[in-house]
Amino acid sequence: MAFHAVLTTDGDVATIRLSGELDAHAAPVFRDRVEEAATGDLRQLVLEMEELTYLSSAGLRGLVFAKQKMGDDVQIVMVGPSESVTETIHLTGFDRSVTVRAAAGG
Amino acid sequence: VDRLTVPANLDSLDDVAEYVAEAAAASGVDSGQAYHLRLAADEIVTNIIKHGYGGDDRGEVELAARCGAGRLEIEISDSAPPFDPLPHLAPPEDLASPLTDRAVGGLGLYLAAQGVDEFLYERCDGRNRNTLVVHVDPERRGG
Repeated sequence: MAFHAVLTTDGDVATIRLSGELDAHAAPVFRDRVEEAATGDLRQLVLEMEELTYLSSAGLRGLVFAKQKMGDDVQIVMVGPSESVTETIHLTGFDRSVTVRAAAGG
Repeated sequence: VDRLTVPANLDSLDDVAEYVAEAAAASGVDSGQAYHLRLAADEIVTNIIKHGYGGDDRGEVELAARCGAGRLEIEISDSAPPFDPLPHLAPPEDLASPLTDRAVGGLGLYLAAQGVDEFLYERCDGRNRNTLVVHVDPERRGG
């Protein structure tokens, strides 16, 4: 399933809506979007993940990159990751550095 | 199940995912096992493409699925230089560090190993052979 990452910015909050499968093939698209988001003066980066069906370590590397690019002051919030994606986030310890939230209404 | 042979470039990851999904569906593993098996195969094939062949897409990666006796096995083989992944399956040492202090790589093989019941490696006939095994719940075993 094709990967899409759509960026919208509202003041100091950037939101990237992810859908499809984030593997090594798709990772450069995610990285580009993160880089674009990081050019602004951000307080928060929200990743909407309800429609993300797959996440590999290549996608996680994009997040390490995001955090290192933006620094500790920018909070990263993941919204609505699937059970399998959540498991990966926990296994890799990323839940210590990002906030994981259930989808609105979920 | 037929073997799958793909060129060593990242475009092949979709075919790998599809092949593993079909093998998983035929074997009767549950959807969580199927997801993690696909993740493991994806991580290994990605490593072979990027590091084994070093981006040279004249190389090929071959997958072979076998099921029976309560097991589903996916064998992944390549003719890149020898690489034994087994010493690299442990959790990276910086797992508990904040992301700002972490190395960017090193998670793939750890994640792969977490998702399967057995992870085997041998070097044989000039090829690397990685075998991933998941155990099939007898109650769910399909045809």
